[in-house]
Amino acid sequence: MPVATAHTVCLRGAVGHLIDVQTDVSKGSVGTTIVGRPDASLSESRDRCRMAVSNSGLEWPSTRRITILLSPADLLKSGTHFDLAIAVSVLAASGKLAPDSLKNTLFIGELTLAGDLRSVPGVLPMVLAAAERGIERVVVPEPQAREAAMVPGMGVFGVRSLAQVLAVLCGDQVPHAAPVAPLSGSRVLCWRGQQQREQADLADLVGMADARFALEVAAAGSHHLLLTGPKGAGKTSIAERIPSILPDLSRSESVELTAIHSMAGTLQPEQGMLTRPPFSAPHHDASKVAIIGGGRGRVTPGEISRAHCGVLFLDEFPLFRSDVIEALRQPLESGEISVARSDETVTLPARGMVVLACNPCKCGEYSADPDNKCTCRDVQRRDYRARITGPLADRIDITRELLPLGAAQRPVPGEINESSAVVRARVERARLRQAARYEGTGWRVNGDAPGPVLSEQFPMSPGAQACVDDEVYSGRLSRRGATRVHRVAWTITDLHGETRPGLREVEIALQLRTGAPLRVRDLARRAG
Amino acid sequence: MSSAERDRLARVSLSRLTEPGDLRLLPLVGELGAVKVHELLLAQGDLGEAAADLAQRLGDEDPARDLERAERLGMRFVIPSDAEWPIGLDDLSGVEPLQERGCTPLGLWVRGPLRLDSLRESVSIVGARSSTSYGDHVAGEIAATCTAAGWGVVSGAAFGIDIASHRGAFSVEGPTVAVLACGVDRAYPTAHRDQLAYLVKTGAVVSEAAPGWTATRVRFLARNRLIAALSRGTVIVEAAHRSGALNTANWADRLSRMVMGVPGPVTSAASVGVHQLIRRGATLVTRGEEVLELLDASGGHLLIEPRAPENARDKISVRHRQVLDAVPVHSGARADSIARAAGVGLIEVCRSLRSLETHGLVEQRVDGWRLGELGRA
Repeated sequence: MPVATAHTVCLRGAVGHLIDVQTDVSKGSVGTTIVGRPDASLSESRDRCRMAVSNSGLEWPSTRRITILLSPADLLKSGTHFDLAIAVSVLAASGKLAPDSLKNTLFIGELTLAGDLRSVPGVLPMVLAAAERGIERVVVPEPQAREAAMVPGMGVFGVRSLAQVLAVLCGDQVPHAAPVAPLSGSRVLCWRGQQQREQADLADLVGMADARFALEVAAAGSHHLLLTGPKGAGKTSIAERIPSILPDLSRSESVELTAIHSMAGTLQPEQGMLTRPPFSAPHHDASKVAIIGGGRGRVTPGEISRAHCGVLFLDEFPLFRSDVIEALRQPLESGEISVARSDETVTLPARGMVVLACNPCKCGEYSADPDNKCTCRDVQRRDYRARITGPLADRIDITRELLPLGAAQRPVPGEINESSAVVRARVERARLRQAARYEGTGWRVNGDAPGPVLSEQFPMSPGAQACVDDEVYSGRLSRRGATRVHRVAWTITDLHGETRPGLREVEIALQLRTGAPLRVRDLARRAG
Repeated sequence: MSSAERDRLARVSLSRLTEPGDLRLLPLVGELGAVKVHELLLAQGDLGEAAADLAQRLGDEDPARDLERAERLGMRFVIPSDAEWPIGLDDLSGVEPLQERGCTPLGLWVRGPLRLDSLRESVSIVGARSSTSYGDHVAGEIAATCTAAGWGVVSGAAFGIDIASHRGAFSVEGPTVAVLACGVDRAYPTAHRDQLAYLVKTGAVVSEAAPGWTATRVRFLARNRLIAALSRGTVIVEAAHRSGALNTANWADRLSRMVMGVPGPVTSAASVGVHQLIRRGATLVTRGEEVLELLDASGGHLLIEPRAPENARDKISVRHRQVLDAVPVHSGARADSIARAAGVGLIEVCRSLRSLETHGLVEQRVDGWRLGELGRA
């Protein structure tokens, strides 16, 4: 029977659908048709596959009618990684391959006219999805074999050309082929040298006790942070050091993040799994699609998803475009982002901490110093500040104002500033306490814990609750704010090593939220 | 033995027997002199009830050995006849006692290279132990600004504002002095051991209490009068209701020293005491420059009041401004419509417009008058 089936995966956001590529080769008017809602890049596959097959020294059944069905047929499909599955199913349907050899095997790869394979984005999430559906082995372009091998229990074949794929499937000797080029879509430029960022340490900064504490709490519970202050107060310097106090990713976090980066095509194959929390700092000119995700055809994860389990740092936040600022509301609240299209809605995870930095005005000079050089008008200042007020500000857990550098900020001989390693150890301990408490639930840190569950299962002390209620009923704190205070209070409790949030922890959480100065004694008290 | 040395030994002996700021003995020393009081006590002279218990212990003292041992440990005992004696302390003999403490001390135990007579130009910075990050920042900045201008800083060694003030002075390597309630050989609070060691190396640690003595509540009250008296003025940065820092402010007021307060948010519990002080007449300060202006000899460190830059509009008369406000920005308007809008007679408007034109505030075009380049700025 001239029908053969090969498997591949189509990604819709974070969901992978297993696709059967069925080919029928039979008599009829000569030609090749692809049915099952292929998009433009996938329709071109027909020509790539035909030339790749002929140039691999095999025969394309060009005197017959070839019908290729991508099933399920109602799902819109896009991507060039279908090439390999289409080519092998045509070859199997025309009798060049045993149809049984395609069973339980996933094919991923783009073909060139010469019959060589090319790398494609999204291999890891595709293989993850296929593993869920009982696929046992996968054929991928050679540079991406490591990525596919991250999925446990999967048999991985890294190949260079169509001829090699055939040899693997038939059990013949694998012919020689030129190496596969890595993905073309890797970022050429970084916002700052990656190396420079890795070397940044909190020990480089003098003073800033208050901001350091805020940073530690934010990192320990993955809370959103807003840093304000005039130009040169150290907002960027301190934000850049957040990754240095974050612990390594857990196994599940690592798989999620690597899958997202694979979808975005920013995974360096030689890198392997991503184990360090990401730090993403897009420029304020970035479009909504770049930050949130989207794009034409395939939905590409935005910066906020790429910073999943890490830090998204938006410097000069009020200068970001209004649609970006508005679009941030959803991920700041729910930790995920939905990109709606006419025919589908794609949901991507975005559970990173968002750090915003903001000057007091557009020129950044406005301060209490009577000699400040600010040239902005009152109206401009108001408009600038208005961009972070309202619904967005309500979703920020911690607000800190950095004061301009003064004479007293100079280092004193013999004084040692706390290093990132010391802070990281405390953050790690606090994260462990959270992981133990939330074991068996869908969240890992206080910042992700849903409000109702917190108030039912993990309440604060009655005195502390009374304090929060008082704030709510007097109108100083919104309901959402109360939940967020509850979360931050838990993080402070975890840092203190206590069993449940009391009045003191709630007071600190409220001070952190409102931007009020912290009591210096509270800064010193952390679990040793 | 010279009379100065006898005086010193007598004072050392007495200082080992009396509480700092004790009103039973210190006034007598002020009146009769330390040597005389010492002799009288030893002879069990008729000095009232104070004599009996004091005299008994006085015989066991060996002040010469005490001094020698102190010197080996890098301490010195400064007495009023010394050149190093800070004369500000003499003012204490003339003021009413507060909470049964007062008077000029017998002498001061000092560790550190800084000479106390250099504190003639100094400022005390005190405040809450339970300070906020805001208070620490402001205290540090004021200390840094003042010491950078050559002034000294006097404070305690407690948590919060005290230590933040020293930290500010350290950062500009300025002169700074900690006055303790315990002996200068003790590090109290122990958390500040490093800072006190640094003070001993670069500034001075001072106490009225004899070496080895511990800090008690009463000694803190007596210590506060020294902080106020050593400096020319006292700045309070953050003090809660009934804070100990207010006691220092009270002493400064009694000594006719300047009392200054740094305000905080009115919603902050840590600033309530300061706000009360300011309401009762303390001077509000926000920066080190303002402190210096208040404390320095008149005319020194004068501040220039900040003013917004003057623009062309500020220079013209109100009548002209009335006309200018009615002139459109872009499209031109005729003089009669400007007159209607401004509520000013046509003839006067024409005269005003000519005058404004010479200032460059308005310009005449084919369609009438509109704002000139300076007027739009």
